[in-house]
Amino acid sequence: MIRSLDDFERQAQEKGPKKMAVLAPEDEEFMLAVKKSWERGYIEPVLIGDEQRIAQAAAKAAFDLSPFAKITGGDLQGISDLGIQMLFAGTAPIAGKGQIPTSYIYRSIIRAEAKAGSGMTVSVVTFWEIPGCDHLVAFTDTGVNIIPDLKAKGEIIKNAVFAYRLLGFPRPKIAVLSGQREVGGRLASYEDYEALQKAAAAGDFGPCEIVAATSFTEIFLGGRDRKMDYRRLPEAALPHILLVPCLDTGNIICKLDFFLDVNRSSLVATSRGPVCIPARSDFSDNIVQQIAMCVVLADRMGKEVL
Amino acid sequence: MLNSFQDILTAAKQGGVKRLAIPEPKAADVALATAAAGAGLITPCFVGDAGAIKAQAAAVTLREGDYELWEEKDPGRALMRALTAVRTGAADIVLQGGAAPGDFVAALQDRETGLGSKGALVSYVSLYQLRKREKLILVTDTFLNNRPSLVEKQQILANALQLARLLGIETPQAAVLAAIEQVNPGIPSTLDAAILAKMGERRQFGKAVVEGPLDIDCALSKEAAGRKGVHSPVTGNVDVYLVPEIDTGHLLAEALVFFGGMQTAGAVLGTTKPAVLKLPFVTEENRLVEIALAALIAGKGGGNG
Repeated sequence: MIRSLDDFERQAQEKGPKKMAVLAPEDEEFMLAVKKSWERGYIEPVLIGDEQRIAQAAAKAAFDLSPFAKITGGDLQGISDLGIQMLFAGTAPIAGKGQIPTSYIYRSIIRAEAKAGSGMTVSVVTFWEIPGCDHLVAFTDTGVNIIPDLKAKGEIIKNAVFAYRLLGFPRPKIAVLSGQREVGGRLASYEDYEALQKAAAAGDFGPCEIVAATSFTEIFLGGRDRKMDYRRLPEAALPHILLVPCLDTGNIICKLDFFLDVNRSSLVATSRGPVCIPARSDFSDNIVQQIAMCVVLADRMGKEVL
Repeated sequence: MLNSFQDILTAAKQGGVKRLAIPEPKAADVALATAAAGAGLITPCFVGDAGAIKAQAAAVTLREGDYELWEEKDPGRALMRALTAVRTGAADIVLQGGAAPGDFVAALQDRETGLGSKGALVSYVSLYQLRKREKLILVTDTFLNNRPSLVEKQQILANALQLARLLGIETPQAAVLAAIEQVNPGIPSTLDAAILAKMGERRQFGKAVVEGPLDIDCALSKEAAGRKGVHSPVTGNVDVYLVPEIDTGHLLAEALVFFGGMQTAGAVLGTTKPAVLKLPFVTEENRLVEIALAALIAGKGGGNG
């Protein structure tokens, strides 16, 4: 059972190295992360992109690229398509994004899923490691669906449940988040919660449970009529998965690690394997953690799914 | 400049004692009013059932001469009487008291009988005290407006900037938040943010720097913003965070409290006179700060609209 980001790093050393299609590693920080991941035995990179810019980033990171395969890509969308095709063809069990806008990667994945006929809705899962919490907490969808409707939310839940089951939790608990509060009437996000809870109870999303809480107040205090006490906040009571109402909410909250005492790690779980999608503002140590997570999940997907 | 909740309490005390109207007070409201009176912030003016209020006051050893009592047994009338008192100047601030949140907000926003006014939008701001340095940040709207239009966002931002100036921030810096820092026609929040930033550039918010769209990492970290090619004085030093809608606003407000352990207090803005709401994740100690903040607003000529 994986309970922390350290668990991913420990297991990545055992399960690696895995081939990773590295897309446009043209930034020193990202290249440094690729270097560290290689040195730790997590990955064997296949570098795709502009040869000159890759060489410049490698020089800055003092990384000798001579042992690795390199593929010269065209424009950024072409590079993205090529890497995702490698993932779907089974040539590389992981793909990882460098200096490419994430929307290009999502476009490539959506096209590849459609071509593969998987029927899978593409979504992003962002794990938080929170002090005092005995498990990772997964926010989703933090990257793709701008304002998901009820059907899309159901698919997003299925993806997250699948990813969470790979961590070794057979029946994850889910909170469907909403800004529903004492004023303002009924929000669409709250109505979605009610519908999703019924669907989950009927088994529509596989083994999981949607808890009766839509706000952090309810999750932490047990209700909205309880007394607030900073000394008694049961982090361990957090559900495993937090479904956010929309992309704005997900992205804004999940990147609070720049401010709060939490660690963040994100991925896209495609039907063929994980895609590592660090933010362009992430630093190398954080990116290494995200790569380690993808290595472990790729290993587990290989055993469970393929 | 007021950089902490303690600064707000200190400044409010210096502004003199205000009259706080409290409809249908519950025991916790009487205790809070007693604490606020003891701190030299207010004189409580309770509106409701006299017998019940006297018993609650006695339970917290609040002496009869230290508060006013306006008898009104009907709960609906008690709320209206409290609002009328504030509107007509018989009191300075209104506390939610025992009124149901929805009833209180609806009555508060009424332009005829409440504290709403033509051309002003009532909004809510959550204040946070940073843990690593002496600074207050404002996040808005975290409670009142569900899906504000661009015009409403303009007003919500203007309300918050006005409060920031009241706190002594001469040129407040505002981040208009969205999922990404680029303007993407597919993501409506980025379009509103870009327009608001342009309005800020043209000084339509007065002396302020408004940047947007900014994702949260760019807003919080100058270094992270630089790596994304965003160069602005706002990044890494935001005073006011404007959120796109209530799902994000309310959950963000809660996340800072429950994941960040940050102390929070809130203020109603855009009313003709100040009002204090009760949110479930604000401690009793910080509700005292909310009263102090309302007293400061009252001292500056009434509301924040």
